[in-house]
Amino acid sequence: MSDAAARAEMSPEPTGGADYNSASITVLRGLEAVRKRPGMYIGDTDDGSGLHHMAFEIIDNAVDEAQAGYATRVEVTLNGDGSVTVRDDGRGIPVDLHEEEGVSAAEVVLTRLHAGGKFNQNSYKVSGGLHGVGAAVVNALSEWMEVRIWRGGLEHVIRFEHGETVRPLTVVGPSDAPGGTEVTFKPSPATFSRTEYDFAVLERRLRELAFLNSGLAIALRDDRHVPAQEVFFQFKGGLVAFVEWLDQGKEPLFRPPISVQSRGQDGIRVELAMWWNNSPREVTLCFTNNIPQRDGGTHQAGFRQALTRVVARYAEELARKEKVELSGEDMREGLTCVLSVKVPDPKFSSQTKDKLVSSEVQPVVQAAVSDALSHWFETHPKEARLVLDQVVLAAAARKAAQLAREKVGRKNALDISTLPGKLADCQEKDPARSELFIVEGDSAGGSAKQGRDRRFQAILPLKGKILNVERARVDKMLSSAEIGTLITALGTGIGPGDPAKGGFDISKLRYHRIVIMTDADVDGSHIRTLLLTFFFRQMPQLIERGHLYIAQPPLFRAKRGGEERYLKDERALEDFLLEKALGGAVLRLADGQELAGEALRAEADRLREIARRVRRLAAGVPAEIVEQAAVAGALTADPERATAAAARLVERLNALAPPAERHWNALPADGGGLQLWRQVRGVTERHALGPAALRSAEARWLDERRELLERHFGAPALLTLDGTEAAVHGPVAALERILAQGRKGLTIQRFKGLGEMNPEQLWKTTLDPAARTLLKVRIEDVEDAEQIFSTLMGDVVEPRRDFIVSNALRVANLDV
Amino acid sequence: MADEGEPREAARGRPPRPCPVCGRPAEPRFRPFCSARCRQVDLGRWLAGDYAIPGEAGERDEETPP
Repeated sequence: MSDAAARAEMSPEPTGGADYNSASITVLRGLEAVRKRPGMYIGDTDDGSGLHHMAFEIIDNAVDEAQAGYATRVEVTLNGDGSVTVRDDGRGIPVDLHEEEGVSAAEVVLTRLHAGGKFNQNSYKVSGGLHGVGAAVVNALSEWMEVRIWRGGLEHVIRFEHGETVRPLTVVGPSDAPGGTEVTFKPSPATFSRTEYDFAVLERRLRELAFLNSGLAIALRDDRHVPAQEVFFQFKGGLVAFVEWLDQGKEPLFRPPISVQSRGQDGIRVELAMWWNNSPREVTLCFTNNIPQRDGGTHQAGFRQALTRVVARYAEELARKEKVELSGEDMREGLTCVLSVKVPDPKFSSQTKDKLVSSEVQPVVQAAVSDALSHWFETHPKEARLVLDQVVLAAAARKAAQLAREKVGRKNALDISTLPGKLADCQEKDPARSELFIVEGDSAGGSAKQGRDRRFQAILPLKGKILNVERARVDKMLSSAEIGTLITALGTGIGPGDPAKGGFDISKLRYHRIVIMTDADVDGSHIRTLLLTFFFRQMPQLIERGHLYIAQPPLFRAKRGGEERYLKDERALEDFLLEKALGGAVLRLADGQELAGEALRAEADRLREIARRVRRLAAGVPAEIVEQAAVAGALTADPERATAAAARLVERLNALAPPAERHWNALPADGGGLQLWRQVRGVTERHALGPAALRSAEARWLDERRELLERHFGAPALLTLDGTEAAVHGPVAALERILAQGRKGLTIQRFKGLGEMNPEQLWKTTLDPAARTLLKVRIEDVEDAEQIFSTLMGDVVEPRRDFIVSNALRVANLDV
Repeated sequence: MADEGEPREAARGRPPRPCPVCGRPAEPRFRPFCSARCRQVDLGRWLAGDYAIPGEAGERDEETPP
């Protein structure tokens, strides 16, 4: 190392090895100033940075010897007495007499400021550390320093105290060692207020050096404590290994990292490894001659220019599609990059070398990186696509933040004047007691505004915008203005980032009950799906904390005279009708069983179960036929039973038909279906139950109950309602008859939308906390809705409509 | 969001769904997205009015079965 004071040669091939002697050492200045103003030379003497810099200077010299091709191994030891030993297996500092100074070259290197081989352009092309300064400075600021040099088969020792030579270079004996230098120094407590080395700091720097100098073995040993702590670094992969190590535990977009190695003009060498991971952070480490530049500089600028140009060229088309403009920042999201340049005589903006200012470096790096990156993009289309996708997403995310600032009121959420004009706010200011109804449509919004209790209920009418994309299709969406209005009304802000600057903050929520109130039609279901998806994706805490509800406006009003009942859905209506019809009713089944009262009510529920499945199967076939097929046991894909069952079905259908139309035929079809046909007055009527229908869950469920159905309806059952007896031939027919009886004398109104209810009705059924039912939205329910939405947004066109209609949200029932 | 670094709910043993924005597997703490970036991109689409539910002409007269 301190021999490196004389070298610092970084060119790849050994240069000047034979000529490396006292003549190569130039003396520039004396040492006195160093002890007087140590901070100028070594950095802060109080915070530990100067102290560690002492070791780094000596270590850098050893690494330089390795860079020059003479050393393969560097060992650093923290000794128990507070000194530090750095040893390499290089050439050893020159020991011959320096003619100008009249002492050994080693002594010159270690006692004269600006002495060293690096000032002689003949021997040294590249040097970052200017270690000639460092070695002498370290000596000057050490209580003592002892240097052993193995050179020419001899071991030499020289010792200094406070920079003064106390034992000139002496040969202490012969040696087998091929060469090497060992420097031990103890930082002076007179200079440094803290003299304790931090193992982790040295470890980090030595690891970095091992990565930057591929193949070099570096050992660090801490003998200050028992047991000794030891680490060893040696990396074959160089910067590629460095990048992989930096991104441990992260997910790279591709492997292996892009690697650039170029010996550019002017003796400048450029080495780089980079890849992208999916995190939002950029990590770029820049080095000049092994020294890190925290603030980048001309090498970094050259790299960024090249990256921006190359990526922009390849991403142009994608960016247009996504309607975004790319910035250099977008291209560096998730980038992990190590850039290392070797430059002769580099210039830095400051003593600490935090920024490279040598202007000749920039075009060299730019050209090298441009060439290599373009080549990589051409030859790795798949990986390149992943990078470009991510870059475009980064740009889209940036645009989103911009939009959020524009669309959402950014002032104090408690400032009433910034609330949207459409919002009819409540008087209550305590969020825990406030409710917000998000109401679909202006007319319903009007009724809700009149019907609400304005003390604690706020109304926000939202309109689903209808988009005529093509003549044949009507798309629904929430406009950007509606979304902005909603976010502003809630008061929470949106997106990541500081809540003071508009980022989402659940604690600013202005209402602890947010109730979605939409019509029970397809439109309403679309708006509800949009809202739920929006909340789930962008404000999931709202749902997790139980703030989101769905209103349950009634679908029916049943009225007789002055008495009225509101019924929320078909099922509730049926329950009501059954209750009304079954008083005094008797059902006498084919097997003689007579049901009345509770037993008949329970049987009616079973009939509903059957009817529900029959109707589902009856998509292309009349329900009466499916019903009879179920009783005849013909809903089977089993060929052994199918023929006999088909014959029974024909018998039953003919029995039900008027005499002139009793011409039914039925045959099991090939592949498991059932064919039915009859000819009446020259016209052929055909029906078919396909194999898929017969294997469906509904068909199997009904088929499993065929014996029960045969027992109950094999012969006509007798139903007595309100004193009138009638024959019924199947379960669906029985149910229909009972429901028809229930409807007698009633006026049933079906609300097509919230707008059809007047304010008073809306209050009575949907708004009044004492009477209403709210469904609390749980995260699991919304996950399903979200997936429906994702499917709708996707490319699959066909199943979309079915999907949204049949997946009306399943939400937990919770009375509030 | 304020606490988006916190995992919101323990994974429930289902395989992760694809992120609705980029298709990579979703990350529990960014559910249903894979990253904060994709959530932000989604927000941009809402705010730009890019999300519409595709429908058909005439369907507005129909009603959802209960």
